Amino acid sequence: MLNKVTFFSNIIFMILNNACFIIQWVIIYSLKNNVGGYSFKQILLLWGIAAGTFGVAHFFFKEAFDLSDTINTGKLDAYLIQPKNVLISSITSSVEVSCIGDMIYGWIMLFLYGFSIKNALLFLFFSITGGLIIASLAVIFGSLSFWFGRVEIVANTINNLMTTFATYPEGIFKGFVKVLFYTLLPIGFVNYIPINLLKEFSLLQFGIVVFITILFIALAFFLFYKGLKRYSSSNLMNARV
Amino acid sequence: MRKYFYILKSECMSNLQYAFDILVGFISYCILIFIFLNLWKYIYQDPNELINGYSMNQMIWYVIVTEILWMSLGGRKLCKKICNDVKSGNIAYNINKPYNYVEYALFNHMGLVIIRFVLVGLLGLILGLLFLRMFPELTLLEGLAVLFSCLLATIINIFLVISIGLISFFIEDANPFFWVYSKMILVVGTIFPIEYFPQALQPIIKFSPIYVVSYGPAKLFVDFSFMNWVNITIAQFIYLGIAFLICHGIYYKGVKKLNVNGG
Repeated sequence: MLNKVTFFSNIIFMILNNACFIIQWVIIYSLKNNVGGYSFKQILLLWGIAAGTFGVAHFFFKEAFDLSDTINTGKLDAYLIQPKNVLISSITSSVEVSCIGDMIYGWIMLFLYGFSIKNALLFLFFSITGGLIIASLAVIFGSLSFWFGRVEIVANTINNLMTTFATYPEGIFKGFVKVLFYTLLPIGFVNYIPINLLKEFSLLQFGIVVFITILFIALAFFLFYKGLKRYSSSNLMNARV
Repeated sequence: MRKYFYILKSECMSNLQYAFDILVGFISYCILIFIFLNLWKYIYQDPNELINGYSMNQMIWYVIVTEILWMSLGGRKLCKKICNDVKSGNIAYNINKPYNYVEYALFNHMGLVIIRFVLVGLLGLILGLLFLRMFPELTLLEGLAVLFSCLLATIINIFLVISIGLISFFIEDANPFFWVYSKMILVVGTIFPIEYFPQALQPIIKFSPIYVVSYGPAKLFVDFSFMNWVNITIAQFIYLGIAFLICHGIYYKGVKKLNVNGG
């Protein structure tokens, strides 16, 4: 924290930044009562989950989104010599303060949707699982740098696509895009299924979210450590204090 | 003035070297247009239906044009650069040069905007023709008038973003101000024309920068009229003056507070 004004302005402005989009949906819902199968309250919840999961991923695992650069510039050296898990220590080595604003915004949206103990617990749980899936995806694409060098553009594009699509209801899309939401861009498991579960709980769908989260984490660890064997230092002088 | 055009030219040449990087950034543009195409197709059950005076095709062209203006602006990059110049003290290297820092930043950034505008503009037009199979009715002269409006919109926008970046003189990080500015432009200015907003809000938006940096050029593109062009151009020149004064005001006030340690 550089100074208090910067710290708090980052958080408050991020909340305002997210809140601006409510205007968009107020106008859209003045034209139609139901957009893509979602009511206005469900859109608020969609924004809540999108902001919450983004916040968790970018606050706790900020460096996962720069993993490609970390690998290419040889910054991994500093983590390799420490008696800690290399992947976890490298992706959790810094935080994005403004993401606290995203997480708070997520909870504000939950309150607007309808607060109950059950909803709060599910929301908290899905913020974590969604955040883990987003961070794992970033690690998976970032790890490709071990094989293909500069793939930041691919990794960044995938991360941006996740964020852009995450705030629109699934029902407005058709065909191949929907398949993407449950494969390459797992927004379905991060946002859409959790929203269904908050509306109507189903043990099967809950189990699917848990299974997919574990699968993504496992894949991220597998690819990172498989690639790490190919890593060669760039003799970069770097100190982790 | 020649020195600023030299900066503009050299920055254009430099950015041409990175045309591929700019092209990759277009993926986000394509995705946004794709999302709005889906959204408006969902909302307009009959493509010939008019909502608030706009057909579905006009709404999609409107978004295409506003997004071209916004994406080619690269506002986040500019704001970050100005903030970093101020915070790191790098601005001291620019102050003692025989040019004004604000004008330097404007022409320097215009070098990037021109390349992006040409590339994103072409892509936007191709996407529009591909998805909609139609083009708004515009004569060559009207097309040039729209381009002139886009140029003014971009210069005003750059002055406003530089002003936001220069707030770093007073608080450490001005980027959060840019987030809110960008979201206001994006949500209120790029997605819907002013006519979509409640009657009570419309006069407020018409007096805001959104009218001159976003709505004006896009409205002219989808529904050109000479009277509209005159009104929008007058408003743009007034805003250009205001933005110029604000930007230079913040700069001269801030530069007095500048404290650089030599090294």
